[in-house]
Amino acid sequence: MITRRNLLKTIGAGFPMTAFAQMSANPAAPRQPHFTPRAKHVIFLFLNGGPSQVDTFDPKPALQKFHGKPMPTPNLKSERKTGNLLGSPFTFKKYGQSGIEVSEIFPEIGSVIDDFCVIRSMHTERPNHEPSLLLTNCGQRLPGHPSMGSWITYGLGTENQNLPGFVVLCPGLPVLGPILWTSAYLPGLFQGTYIPNNEKEIDKLLPNLRNGRYSAAEQTAQLGLLQKLNRRQMEREGADPQLEAGIQSMEVAFRMQTEAADAFDITREPEKVRASYGDGDFARGCLMAARLVERGVRMVQVYYGDDQPWDSHDDILDHRRLARTADKPIAALIRDLKQRGLLKETIVVVTGEFGRTPATEVSGLVKVQNGRDHNNHGYSSLVAGGGFRGGMTYGATDDFGFQAVENPVDVHDLHATMLHQLGLDHKRLTYRYSGRDFRLTDVHGNLIQAIIES
Amino acid sequence: MNWVLSTALLGSVCFAAAADTPEERFETKVRPILAKNCFACHTASKMGGLALTSRESVLAGGKSGPAVVSGKPDESRLILAVRQGDAVIKAMPMTGKLKPDEIAALEEWVRDGAVWPASAKVQAATGQITPEQRAFWSFQPVRKGTPPAVANSEWSRQPVDQFIYAKLRERGLQPAPRAARATWLRRVTFDLTGLPPTPEETDAYLNDKSSQAEAKVVDRLLASPRYGERWARHWLDVARYSDDRLESQKELPHPNAFRYRDWVIAAFNNDMPYSEFVLGQIAADLLPEPQRTKLLPGLTFYGLSPEQQDERVDATTRGFLGLTVACAQCHDHKFDPIPQTDFYALQGVFNSTVVDEVPLAPEAEVAAWKAHKKRLDDKEAELRSFQDEQAMIVAAMLAAQTKDYVAAVAGTRNPDGLDPETLKRWREYLDLAKQHDHPYLDNPRDGEKLQTTVLALLAEKKEIDQKNLIRLGGSDARGDLSGTELLSLDRAKYRFYNELFGARKSVLHFAGKDLDRWLGALHLRHLAALRAGAEELKKTLPPQYPFLHAVKDSDKPKNANLLIRGSRDNPGAEVPRRFVSILSPAAPKPYTQGSGRLELARAIASIENPLTPRVMVNRIWQHHFGQGIVRTPSNFGQLGERPTHPELLDYLAARFVESGWSVKAIHREIVLSRAYASAWARSAANEEKDAANLYLWRANRQRLDVETMRDALLAAGGNLEQAGGGPPLRLTDDKNFRRTVYGYRSRRKLDGTLALFDHPNPNTTNEQRNVTNVPLQRLYFLNNPFVMRQGAALAARLNGPTDEARIRQAYRLLFARQPDAAELRAGLAFLKSEKDAWPRYAQALLASNEFLYVD
Repeated sequence: MITRRNLLKTIGAGFPMTAFAQMSANPAAPRQPHFTPRAKHVIFLFLNGGPSQVDTFDPKPALQKFHGKPMPTPNLKSERKTGNLLGSPFTFKKYGQSGIEVSEIFPEIGSVIDDFCVIRSMHTERPNHEPSLLLTNCGQRLPGHPSMGSWITYGLGTENQNLPGFVVLCPGLPVLGPILWTSAYLPGLFQGTYIPNNEKEIDKLLPNLRNGRYSAAEQTAQLGLLQKLNRRQMEREGADPQLEAGIQSMEVAFRMQTEAADAFDITREPEKVRASYGDGDFARGCLMAARLVERGVRMVQVYYGDDQPWDSHDDILDHRRLARTADKPIAALIRDLKQRGLLKETIVVVTGEFGRTPATEVSGLVKVQNGRDHNNHGYSSLVAGGGFRGGMTYGATDDFGFQAVENPVDVHDLHATMLHQLGLDHKRLTYRYSGRDFRLTDVHGNLIQAIIES
Repeated sequence: MNWVLSTALLGSVCFAAAADTPEERFETKVRPILAKNCFACHTASKMGGLALTSRESVLAGGKSGPAVVSGKPDESRLILAVRQGDAVIKAMPMTGKLKPDEIAALEEWVRDGAVWPASAKVQAATGQITPEQRAFWSFQPVRKGTPPAVANSEWSRQPVDQFIYAKLRERGLQPAPRAARATWLRRVTFDLTGLPPTPEETDAYLNDKSSQAEAKVVDRLLASPRYGERWARHWLDVARYSDDRLESQKELPHPNAFRYRDWVIAAFNNDMPYSEFVLGQIAADLLPEPQRTKLLPGLTFYGLSPEQQDERVDATTRGFLGLTVACAQCHDHKFDPIPQTDFYALQGVFNSTVVDEVPLAPEAEVAAWKAHKKRLDDKEAELRSFQDEQAMIVAAMLAAQTKDYVAAVAGTRNPDGLDPETLKRWREYLDLAKQHDHPYLDNPRDGEKLQTTVLALLAEKKEIDQKNLIRLGGSDARGDLSGTELLSLDRAKYRFYNELFGARKSVLHFAGKDLDRWLGALHLRHLAALRAGAEELKKTLPPQYPFLHAVKDSDKPKNANLLIRGSRDNPGAEVPRRFVSILSPAAPKPYTQGSGRLELARAIASIENPLTPRVMVNRIWQHHFGQGIVRTPSNFGQLGERPTHPELLDYLAARFVESGWSVKAIHREIVLSRAYASAWARSAANEEKDAANLYLWRANRQRLDVETMRDALLAAGGNLEQAGGGPPLRLTDDKNFRRTVYGYRSRRKLDGTLALFDHPNPNTTNEQRNVTNVPLQRLYFLNNPFVMRQGAALAARLNGPTDEARIRQAYRLLFARQPDAAELRAGLAFLKSEKDAWPRYAQALLASNEFLYVD
């Protein structure tokens, strides 16, 4: 019996000399989805920390009117104590043909808003970062389950065998760290390959990519010897798919040395392109994401920054500073993907793990008086490309932007819909582990038909 | 006529006896099928929205539509689901396919109108264990059967071989020949110690022609301290061992976790009875001396996961029992006889257990350390508070000069007598403020007015802080008082205040050394004294006394409440703390001693418990053959795999208990068998029948796991450090030559090499490692500096007179064999033509498949 687990022990990497049967046994090779996909890639832009919906994509006139007053409706539970309502310090303006209102801190995103579906009715389970980060990334509240990128590469394989299928870019580490891109019980090759994109040197970006000592010619001679010895073993003992896969894998590794170095090197982009993204780690991450997707990487996740920058407990005006280095890269990425003909087949998601309270935070710290607490009851996520409908808003929060009340969208629903666009039925994308079928959406998830092109 | 009539009557009589009416047919034929296969998920918990509880509910169906269209089996989802041929409708039941006659019975039932008597409405029964469930294989007592007679002298010497060979015969499989002796030696040495045999060991064994040669090798390996280092690691996967805990923003080491790791290593080396090993990890603190002290380090099994009770239930039941009790958190287990109450019964035990730091030093030493640490903390707090106060005073004084600084910036006043740094800061701030609308800086030239505003702001803030502090009960720490209504500055003022006085980069705030220059001699003397005091206390603080991350019973053990559908907002009845129902002979008795942990431990380590020994011998088997007799080592339930050799499993389990739970006894049973000695070989005939080698007709070629791989690289370079134990070292440390088991394991950020080569994520219990083969792993062998250094070290220790002699030496070291002619030729050619050839040649050998795989 050939089980998937057995198959995963072997890998042929699409080499002419490999038997066809062997090639199909490569678990990272592209795999047929469940049905015809609309999208092939995902770029997941994570504004980690919890951006405030009422200051970005969900304008609330009532909030301005009641600024400084207690909320007339009952307060919902958030992590800490909140006080009176806090009007947004930012103004909103209509953009594009769709006329979707966007905050003044995101004028560039405003200029491409017709490409985005703005979901204004997101919600999740807990007002704490950790469970919400896990839910957004892995579909489960507790650690130890595979991330979305792992599920997607497990389901679809990846197109470029010389690059990892799932790449995570983050300057430093987000809260909780690598558990957010773990493959958990899925085989390790589906885990996210973490790249600290604040590093400028290629060696620090991807470990073991370069040999500090020997030239390419010297390495070629060494590889020749090695493969001769590997082949000799099989001549003596008989062909073995496992050993054959090892040989192929080594060939690919050898080629990765040049191909991966090229993919991550954004200095090879024309000056004009680089300038359009602007400066900063996040801009660099967005541009890298475009290059990687162009080369067939299945999913790239770009964290805005180390730790949780968008966690504006103390002062919501911090959002202006943060937006300065997020606005331009996001818009540039959308335009650039379009330019490269990739937006149609690439889902671009912009979201945090939750939103923020419309009321000011009063956490017991005497000094805190202008910030917002975590809010899992309602927040906004943006999705573009990959067959999602641009220039629309979906769902709504209440008058103050606290709770999703119209067409609420659970994070599992978003996962299910993304998988659907990739040609995967979220209920059929399962992995049997320790006697149970697991899936990204656990026992939840509904396809949101209204936000995808028919 | 008569004849016809009588036949008809007879027929009808017989028919009535079987199932006369549709109602009776439902009861006798249909309901048992549904009950056995469907009710677990489709009664109370309505999976997919479908409840199979009445005719109405069946016709209404679930989320995807009606389950049954009366009279039309081909249009009924239920029928399509059990036929398991439909592309869209999910195949049911999940446990396998129904028998053809069962499917036919359901079809007939639908055709006949899906009759379901109203009186036969199914009530969702909870907690009921059916006789069928009780009859499941893994819950049966361990039976030590007689090994089957085998007419093959090679395979008839040992019970293990008799069981294996009988199965091979039964399946028509021809066993592979015995492996070469050197191959066997390399295999058994890696298996038992995680290291390759040395050339001396190879020679000794190859020259030993006695019939006891293998037994001697096995005895030697089992007596080696390296054995425990290898086998402890297998258990540490199950125990989700780590040297830190999963924290959000920083690393939070468990500084003494290694004591548990070392205890596990010693337990394997000393062949601690497994029952004792279990008792120690679950309840050492509740045992009498001297057992208590000896087993106490085992409690770190729980001490490592302080705040996740469901994780503890999971690790305990999967790890020791092969049962997935944590699946019964929201509902009765869907497939196994584990009622939801079982989960909460165990959770009650762990809710009544708290983490406990057990010092391993004399009381006086502990008290002295704690007192010293407190003095240090107090002194540092005093220093901080003095600096904060002084900084505020300085800022307030500077604020009172606002108009002077503003004038100097505007050029209307001479900067003499002003502080240059403060002036610079004002200038930058006012420049920046010009670029945005600023509510208080619309006319920065009006210094007088600005100064008034700033001083008023300062006063207002001070007043608010004082009032808030009173409202908070005198402490500004977050706490229960955080619900208090607090006062606040108006937003624009708050912003302005932070820009001028905030602790982070504000105009008037000076901290640390920057503050010093503002202070007078008296203040400086005081500050210096505080600093020196803190410094001295820090310097003289001895390393913290050793302690164990243990657990103990809480003061007031209490039962957990069942949570309906697992929701914390929906608590149900209280569940007494007790053992798992299916493993209790009658209704399980509530625990009476403290948390009940000791009672739980005894129930798990009991010789009456059929799962504990089966699960452990299966784990041992798995690590020798690469696959268990049950190939889901932590799930011996319905959805787990069935044993390929049930009698063999029971034989080993019985032997295990008989031997006094000796793990080493089981190793001997296994590695001295003929089955273990088989070669890896191809056989078209066998591969057709058993490609996955379930029946062990040949050896499984196994990739070294990451620990063995790194250890073998060190062994190859001749620089493996034998000493072990103690605090973990980072694997990224160039000076770390110790075995990989002693490397730092992190739940937050697993070491890159460990992660690359499939080390499990230590946040949950792990039953089996994945084995992947990806290019990034090969890049490690091509370019990683550690591998290159080991290549150079290997090359350097080869000291034969000629290249050929050295090549031969290398093959003996790495592969326990001689190179063949082709290998020798390839090596010599490379060495002749390349520069810096030896280290590169050695590295190529280390990067070869033969190095990475054990036959």
